[in-house]
Amino acid sequence: MKKYIILVLLITVFACQQKPKKNGKLQVVTTTTMITDLVKNIGGDKIDIQGLMGAGVDPHLYKASEGDVSKLFNADVIVYNGLHLEGKLEDVFEKMRQQDKKTIAASDAIDTATLIGSEYFASNYDPHIWFDIANWEIITQYITDKLCEFDAENAATYKKNGANYLKTLASLKTTIIQQVNSLPIEKRILVTAHDAFNYFGKEFQFNVVGLQGLSTATEAGVKDVQRLANFIEEKNVKAIFVESSVPKRTVEALQEAVRAKGKEVVIGGTLYSDALGSRGTAEATYIGMYKHNVKIIVNSLK
Amino acid sequence: MSSAQIEIQLIASIVAIACAIPGTFLVLRKMALISDAISHSILPGLVLGFFITHDLNSPLLIVMAALSGVVTVVLVEFIQKTRLVKEDTAIGLVFPVLFSIGVIMIAKNANDVHLDTDAILLGELAFAPFDRFLVDGADLGPKSLWIIGTILLITIGLLFAFFKELKISTFDAGLATALGFSPIMIHYGLMSVASITIVGSFDAVGAILVVALMIAPAATAYLLTDNLKRMLVLSVIFGVFSAIAGYWLAHWLDASISGSMTTILGIVFLLVYLFAPKRGLISVLYRNRQQQIEVSLLTFLLHLNNHQEISERHINHLNEHINWRRVRSKSVLDLALKNNMITIDKSIISLTDKGKNFTDKAIDYIITNDHSKIESIKEDFFLFRG
Repeated sequence: MKKYIILVLLITVFACQQKPKKNGKLQVVTTTTMITDLVKNIGGDKIDIQGLMGAGVDPHLYKASEGDVSKLFNADVIVYNGLHLEGKLEDVFEKMRQQDKKTIAASDAIDTATLIGSEYFASNYDPHIWFDIANWEIITQYITDKLCEFDAENAATYKKNGANYLKTLASLKTTIIQQVNSLPIEKRILVTAHDAFNYFGKEFQFNVVGLQGLSTATEAGVKDVQRLANFIEEKNVKAIFVESSVPKRTVEALQEAVRAKGKEVVIGGTLYSDALGSRGTAEATYIGMYKHNVKIIVNSLK
Repeated sequence: MSSAQIEIQLIASIVAIACAIPGTFLVLRKMALISDAISHSILPGLVLGFFITHDLNSPLLIVMAALSGVVTVVLVEFIQKTRLVKEDTAIGLVFPVLFSIGVIMIAKNANDVHLDTDAILLGELAFAPFDRFLVDGADLGPKSLWIIGTILLITIGLLFAFFKELKISTFDAGLATALGFSPIMIHYGLMSVASITIVGSFDAVGAILVVALMIAPAATAYLLTDNLKRMLVLSVIFGVFSAIAGYWLAHWLDASISGSMTTILGIVFLLVYLFAPKRGLISVLYRNRQQQIEVSLLTFLLHLNNHQEISERHINHLNEHINWRRVRSKSVLDLALKNNMITIDKSIISLTDKGKNFTDKAIDYIITNDHSKIESIKEDFFLFRG
């Protein structure tokens, strides 16, 4: 009887090997909210976009749901960050690439020499590349080119949108530089839950200290907390920050540890690190997220 | 349905069948926990296999992992034989040690390989259809379907070849030895099959679902039958049903596929546990209640038999005398009336001939405590079942 069940199932598999119909638009599946936002800006209404990860979802810890199967299956193009940010998903994308699915890894655009190395992270590079606006500009250009290649019909629109977005990014950069410059160099110390802000630090001369290391999967040890508490006391840091996709607990533990030393450090606010804000808020876009983070950082550390 | 969706259900169903077969024997041998232990302790084997081959897809990994599964069993038995701790304690001692050795080996030597605990304990069924088996560019279906399909065929082959041996050594190890085949060999053979099944499935469905698929369908089937063959078939049916129903639950909720399948397994077990005709909770409770009323009836009839005087047989007097609540008295009276054991005439109760006969037999039984007597009572009068 078992054999018959298998046989019937096998027959149905081979009988149903055709793809479903689409509405003619390029079907794009993206991973993180940052990538989704970027591709939306470039593709505009010429593409149908489906983001796998929602707001507040930590890409390191993302779990697939049933709906994601159909999204991936029906996708014409898949855009992802890479550098092991998406964990196991990337292996899947690698395999799909071998089967002639069109995939774009945003991190491919960046020269490895400019990446920040890491001894913790699996690929040995820090994957939080979007916090360097210069990187994001390169990636914008890269994804634009790729989309033009995959969908030549709408290439003109993609080019126009891409160029517009590059302009927005340039003006964002000017605004951010202005804001950051109001903060003296010695006050530019950013203490957060995990090391997501190294690219940000590199671009704007911040000393970035993370409690947990790069991957949010590892937990901070007692020693890490003590070491960081000493550091905060020594450098007289005014504020530390929590992140939207990492539990508050560890940062609160740090605050307690500093308090035990007889010093006060405030939690400056919630920074968006591995995911953008919820839909409908200003922080749901890359631009809004960046402005929000910098405003909070600068105001709390002043 | 897209082909990816069908493939996921197909993979899950085959994993369910491959797990149900060793699972049935594990449950019968009261070794269900060992599957959980194996699912963890295969890690050092996997890591060692990877160090040797440097290839995550090498079959050697499966062999090494299966070996460390067998090592787990050997160690558990070794600790257990000292008689200092019980079997579950021994299992609880062994697998965390082996698992943590694996974790340390990864942390020390293979940090940038995707061999982490997450990948092992929570494989992702959603991605299984995208990992294809390609030969010269020809797509032969998902890789995990081939792996688990092969394991299933081997398992079925072994099951047919060694069914008698498995059956006897499971139920009577002494007899098995007397008949000249080693229960130890069968035991390790079974454990090896369980290990290989777990290793072969974890990448596709994750170890937690594998453990659930091994234990839950077999445990559910065990509530319904005492026949080994029927139990195997039922386990397979429950496993496949849960896999497919779980998939559609995940589809409906847009949730994790493995999680939904495990949920369905739990729900199926719960339903059978409640409603199974013989061993189900409700039927056990119902039977207990019936017995209670039968005993009450007997007490009541004995009382009538002992008291010829009318005052003792008044309907209201019974309430006080035997000290029953009104409801209970009523149900006992109704039962006796329905079975024509008593008659009520102007609130005075008398035994009928049938009632008298029944009571005498019951007294006979109580005095002699002879089992053959009670059997004949059951046949003659049986109250609820007749």
